[in-house]
Amino acid sequence: MAADMRLPTIQKPVSLTFSAFDRKDLVVPGDVITSDTGFMRGHGTYVDEEKLTASVAGEVQRVDKLICVKPLKTRFNGEVGDVVVGRITEVQQKRWKVETNSRLDSVLLLSSVNLPGGELRRRSAEDELTMREYLQEGDLISAEVQSVFSDGALSLHTRSLKYGKLGQGVLVQLSPSLIKRQKTHFHNLPCGASMILGNNGFVWLYPTPEQLEEEAGGFYTSLEPVSVSDREVISRLRNCLLALAAHKVLLFDTSVLYCYESSVHHQVKDILKPEVMEEIVMLTQQKLLDQEG
Amino acid sequence: MGNVVQRQTRGALRFQLFRKMAGLELLSDQGYRLDGRKATELRKFQARMGVFAQADGSAYLEQGNTKALAVVYGPHEVRGARSRIRHDRAVINCQYSMATFSTAERKRRPHGDRKSTEMSLHLKQTFEAAVMTQLYPRSQIDIYVKILQSDGGNYSVCVNAATLAVIDAGIPMRDYVCACTVGFVDETPLADLCYAEEGGGVSSLALALLPRGGQIALLQMDARLHQDHLEALIEAAMTACKGVSKVLDQVVRQHLQEASVPSAE
Amino acid sequence: MATVQVSEAEKVYILHGIRDDLRVDGRGCEDYRHMEIETDVVSNTDGSAKVTLGDTAVLVGVKADIGKPRPMVPNEGYVEFFVDCSANATPEFEGRGGEELGTELSNTLYKVFNNKHSVDLKSLCISAGEHCWVLYVDVLLLQCDGNLYDAISVAIKAALFNTKIPRVHISADEEGGKEIELSDDPYDCVRLNVKNVPCIVTLCKVGHRHVVDATLQEKACSVASLIISVTRKGTITCTRKVGGGSLDPESIFEMTEAGKRVGKALHAPLMKLLQQEESLGKARQKVGFLG
Repeated sequence: MAADMRLPTIQKPVSLTFSAFDRKDLVVPGDVITSDTGFMRGHGTYVDEEKLTASVAGEVQRVDKLICVKPLKTRFNGEVGDVVVGRITEVQQKRWKVETNSRLDSVLLLSSVNLPGGELRRRSAEDELTMREYLQEGDLISAEVQSVFSDGALSLHTRSLKYGKLGQGVLVQLSPSLIKRQKTHFHNLPCGASMILGNNGFVWLYPTPEQLEEEAGGFYTSLEPVSVSDREVISRLRNCLLALAAHKVLLFDTSVLYCYESSVHHQVKDILKPEVMEEIVMLTQQKLLDQEG
Repeated sequence: MGNVVQRQTRGALRFQLFRKMAGLELLSDQGYRLDGRKATELRKFQARMGVFAQADGSAYLEQGNTKALAVVYGPHEVRGARSRIRHDRAVINCQYSMATFSTAERKRRPHGDRKSTEMSLHLKQTFEAAVMTQLYPRSQIDIYVKILQSDGGNYSVCVNAATLAVIDAGIPMRDYVCACTVGFVDETPLADLCYAEEGGGVSSLALALLPRGGQIALLQMDARLHQDHLEALIEAAMTACKGVSKVLDQVVRQHLQEASVPSAE
Repeated sequence: MATVQVSEAEKVYILHGIRDDLRVDGRGCEDYRHMEIETDVVSNTDGSAKVTLGDTAVLVGVKADIGKPRPMVPNEGYVEFFVDCSANATPEFEGRGGEELGTELSNTLYKVFNNKHSVDLKSLCISAGEHCWVLYVDVLLLQCDGNLYDAISVAIKAALFNTKIPRVHISADEEGGKEIELSDDPYDCVRLNVKNVPCIVTLCKVGHRHVVDATLQEKACSVASLIISVTRKGTITCTRKVGGGSLDPESIFEMTEAGKRVGKALHAPLMKLLQQEESLGKARQKVGFLG
């Protein structure tokens, strides 16, 4: 039995990069970004009296002639090719509705999943009736954004062996803006667990599979108990992710791993105490800076 | 009175105290108000964005002794009746409520009474004017505000807190929405009324402004006022709102500096 | 978020973890999450406290008002409870959505706190049969992340500790009537004795074991829970089974024992913290929601 009670303190974010100087690329709603008409307006901006104006608070990003403002925190704005982790909320005719932290529920069409029995298999009427056997309400999946509908809803697909239904593990829900875009979002971490960093801010931690499972179409999940050592690694990673997120550190395999290494002196359950969080995040940032050189 | 035992709730006693104070001059000859402010001076602001982890956006605002919490959920799938779905824009849904312990006299219900329903509607209209709802068809944005401690200008404080929460949620707005309650005493407009002034028989006016364009999103006045004074009062309210917008601007910029994710490069 | 969805595989993972005494966040079965407590956060009240437990956040305000004692107990005051499940916590609570949970919570609070063994109700009496103090304890739920009962009970205890009731002077006027006068001096006040105020421990039965301070995910895996209110001395003042499932008598005995142990251990750090906060006096940096 342990109860850790204390008075609250005012938390200041720890940062080794100098937040003291004013960053010029930060704007608030109503700020005029440019009155030059040669630019195109992107997300987070609007044109008011021929001036390009910010509509959200965040940092300005420029790609050629396109100007966007990326808010600090927002719902997931999916793009084609993004890796997402989501939860099935509804089984409908020929499709599943998936909660992906977007502003509208995403859609997974029956025709966008690999059904058991191989690639070239026709979807029959029976398949429609047995959809719930593959994926039911509450199930977690990993998937890729296939297309974006005109109203902004995402259409997903799981037509690769790496996607599909998720088995035992832990889901951590964070802000999508904390996830760094990388070549791969699937990581087998050397500390002994695997991680899917969904672009939508949902992170899935799971025990590293022994060998690639035989082709079951990704609908089979093992319910064998996970060993205690694996659990400890997963729990530690979970708390590290939350600590990094609390201090707004960008998440990718290296930052998570560094944080994991910095935390090993502490018990898993102590990581979420404010002073421990501060300490290990500080160490992580130090390591990241060292690595950059 | 005779033998009647005098029994009064403490709230009523406190209210009497305010009445006595109201008997005092709301504006002294030297130009000071009950709490020592000048006529155009705003109360002290203290704010924080991102108070809660579970909501999409949240903010806490203290304006003098009035304290409000605002949270924003969304944009998300429309809940309840599908008939509420708008195919060209997002629906804004607001609820204004007051903590039962927020007022001097304990409130029996936090929301659902006539006044809070009216406030909810006003909030909705105010934010429909400012949020770029057309970007989010078929979805819904929830804005919930709660007064934790009430000391005048409740509506205005809620609007200001909600503005911060909407910005925290990363929802696009044309501009800040700033609100302020002003009153008219001895031919002088008073900015940002506190409870003692509101209760002291001042004709008060609540105004919500989009300061950059000078657009008025809400104008409400329930008291009597000579028409000749109206323009001056609105003018004063707009000046006060611009003052509020400066303070909110500082809060947001400070938050941005502190909470921005260091860019990848 | 009042309820969450959990997939079958996640359930299995959580269940096995609890069996091995290693929960998803690294805690053992009888560990609490990090808890932060602050009193005197809203000034329109006579006492208030804010408690956060994980992501659960509650704010409790206590208002003292003069009322008439209940006819059955003319020499005691009484306590009223109200729980406001506000829409701030989750959109599900909008409108009347939070009423059901609010009523359930406040009914339990009546059972736990509104008796002379928990709160010294006699000290609330002003003049027997005529006037007494009524304490309105209003709970405001700001964020739900599981284990509401425990967080609320700690907040209530802290708020009652913080409550300052103005001293009352009763004077007889010329015609024999009584006049009640409240002291205007904010320092001339009476404090409540919170020595015997219990804390609630919720034990969630998950699989074959039980856990304290369950998160929403763990609660989703549990069949039923037992709430136990325990005083500083380890006396159980109230137990109640909540949730849809059923429990067998053995596990209830086991859970009661565990609850007693855990509950007893909650009081010492809580009182120490409250006294520490009090001793800081004006030097204390008020955090409130600005932290």
